[in-house]
Amino acid sequence: MWSNAILSIIPASLLASAAVEGRVELPKSHGAPVQAKRYEIVTKGGVLSTQPPLAVVYLDGNFPRPVSAPVKQVAQKDLTFIPALLPIQVGTRVEFPNLDDTYHNIFSYSPAKRFDLGRYRAEERPIPSEVFDKPGLVTLRCDIHEHMRGLILVLNTPYFLITDTEGRFRLSGLPEGHYTLRAWIDSRTTREKPVDLKNGQTLHVDFP
Amino acid sequence: MSSSIEPRNKQVVSFRTRLFTAMMVIIATLTALGLYLAERKVTADAQRNLQQIFQTELSSVHKIEELRHAALADRCNALAGKSRIHAAIEDDAIDLLYPSARDELRDLMEGDEPPPEQAAQWLHARFYRFLDGTGAVIKPPNPYDVGRLDDKTEAQLALTKLPATQQVGYIQENSEAGSRAIDEVIAVPISSTATGEVISALVIGFKPLELEYKYTGMKSGIWVNGRLHLPSLPEFAQASLSEKIANAVVGSDPAENNFQAEVDGAPHILFYKRLNPGSLFPPAYEISVYPLSSLMAQLHRLRWQIGGAGALLLLGGFVASHLVALRLSAPVKKLALDSEENRAERKRAEAALASTAQELERSTRYSADASHQLKSPMTILRIGLESLLEREGFKPEIYEELSTLLHQTRRLTGVIDDLLLLSRMDAGHLQIASAPVNLSQLVDEWLDDLGALPDSPDVKIEKEFPPGLFVAGEKRYTSLIVQNLLENARKYNRPGGRIQVSARGNGAGVVLTIGNTGRTIPPGEDIFERFHHSSTPSAASGHGIGLNLARELARLHGGDLCLVRSENDWTEFEVRFSAADGVNAVA
Repeated sequence: MWSNAILSIIPASLLASAAVEGRVELPKSHGAPVQAKRYEIVTKGGVLSTQPPLAVVYLDGNFPRPVSAPVKQVAQKDLTFIPALLPIQVGTRVEFPNLDDTYHNIFSYSPAKRFDLGRYRAEERPIPSEVFDKPGLVTLRCDIHEHMRGLILVLNTPYFLITDTEGRFRLSGLPEGHYTLRAWIDSRTTREKPVDLKNGQTLHVDFP
Repeated sequence: MSSSIEPRNKQVVSFRTRLFTAMMVIIATLTALGLYLAERKVTADAQRNLQQIFQTELSSVHKIEELRHAALADRCNALAGKSRIHAAIEDDAIDLLYPSARDELRDLMEGDEPPPEQAAQWLHARFYRFLDGTGAVIKPPNPYDVGRLDDKTEAQLALTKLPATQQVGYIQENSEAGSRAIDEVIAVPISSTATGEVISALVIGFKPLELEYKYTGMKSGIWVNGRLHLPSLPEFAQASLSEKIANAVVGSDPAENNFQAEVDGAPHILFYKRLNPGSLFPPAYEISVYPLSSLMAQLHRLRWQIGGAGALLLLGGFVASHLVALRLSAPVKKLALDSEENRAERKRAEAALASTAQELERSTRYSADASHQLKSPMTILRIGLESLLEREGFKPEIYEELSTLLHQTRRLTGVIDDLLLLSRMDAGHLQIASAPVNLSQLVDEWLDDLGALPDSPDVKIEKEFPPGLFVAGEKRYTSLIVQNLLENARKYNRPGGRIQVSARGNGAGVVLTIGNTGRTIPPGEDIFERFHHSSTPSAASGHGIGLNLARELARLHGGDLCLVRSENDWTEFEVRFSAADGVNAVA
């Protein structure tokens, strides 16, 4: 899925040619064996993170908003949010299709985005959606199913990706210039490194 | 004599006084003890009863409260599980906390206060607040939605940390009107659904249930934060009781106890029980104050009853002790009197005895003296007469005269011997040298002598005794007895009469019977009297010593002499002797 995300970035970075790769030191996994594509949001000491741990690496900067709002989806399937963590660029519309046979009531009290979609079923059309126009972390909840958690990381940049479970990442097609590369690890931990990007160069950055 | 009775009377009186005092002391002690025990029992009973009422009422209220708490806890837990509440707390949206809770708690807060009698069934909250992660109160954006509280009251809801379990507390609320009220609060932790960590707490306030006592005059309230809230008591009484309760609960901090105190000038008993043991909220105590007036009245009545009973007992005791003392002291008194009489009697007797002894001694001495004084001239006289009689040359009438004189002299000598013997016996100087005496032989000899006497009348002698009958005694005295009786039998016989002498062994004794015909002895006449003279004049008369002497001698020998009968021309005497040991054959 994040390969899709990366692919979707490609048209916006056609002119860019810089790249960054490296590895984010992830917290030790303390859950069940990794199941590909299935991870969930856990809270520990008020800190939300994914399980198994993943990081979002993004190039921070003041990039222009997309002309047409991109549309992403966070579905509710089997009483979970899929994906559990969704990084988006500011101005993205996110649809919340209900793929379960039950009602869901998706809402968020997060300062970055407060919304309440109300109750709806799978056949609800149009698919309930919200535009996220403020950067920040948005916690998704279901009023009916209290355990459901989802995260949307609203970013100011179109250059971002989710690492693999090892923490490895590679961002390419980046513009030339001086930026800050950040790695979001959990709701309270974001690491950053200044980067000087040059065309045709691949920078190696590790987040210890 | 009266001088000796006086102290005795005093002794009797003092004995009675002592007896009465002892009874008084015992009764008074018993009464006091009874009073003490009864009072203690009544007080203990009353206290136990009151405590039981207190505990029963309290436990019934506690059961209702527990139900209410459980119901509330359910509601709160449900609420705490709500996504929106969690979202508000966890997602940094505190401003949305109260609005989110409002919908959830609407039914709890809606409506008016329930009437007191239905308070138990109603889950009506007066206010609610959330606590943040540090236990501080999260201020509500709109106090009207969550129940208005002034800052001071609201501050009492805060805890030093978030509770892990449900907590019960009591706070004092100051209303605008200045009146005070107690609110019961329960704090329910709100845990994160994801981690189970306590992230907040919901505190809900209620009007506390009031104890409804059937026991009249009883007042109940709640003591918290050093202040007593007991609206039915005046302020100053509440204040003074507050201190006492504070002292009681702070000292040893027992969860439950009681003490007695003056309330409004009247004695009361006060029970307290911790309402929220182990709570993070300040300790609160249920207080029940019971007037002891009815107990006092009961005690007063009891005191009167027991005091009255004691007085009655004392009175009864007084009468009883008086009677008992009389009864007890009467013998003592009588004893004292008796002994007094006895003493006088004894003195009289002693005096009489002394004089008798004196007289006896005198007479004995006289008798002895007289015997001796008489005996010597008699001997001289007799010897003179005998020598004259032996002389020759007198006329025959002279010899006859001399012979009569000699006979009389001999007789006189016999009398004097008798008298001498008697006086020796009286003086107790006569000693018997006891030896076996052959009575049969003795009687035979005397009967022979009797027949030889010159003036013996014509009497027939019948004898009937076994030969060789031995008695224990001194021969000459035994002989004297036999002689006396035989002489009498001859002397008082009639011409042509008879004398019957019989003897027989009688076990340990020998009985000699001598009977004779002739004039009988008139009844009532004591012939054994010394110097006795028959009331009927008779030619034959003695000097009145013989029978007396014979009897004295018989008695001296361990036997006796008595008159068996004297009627129809027959007079019979009987002498009893001791048998000589082992000598007599079977009689």
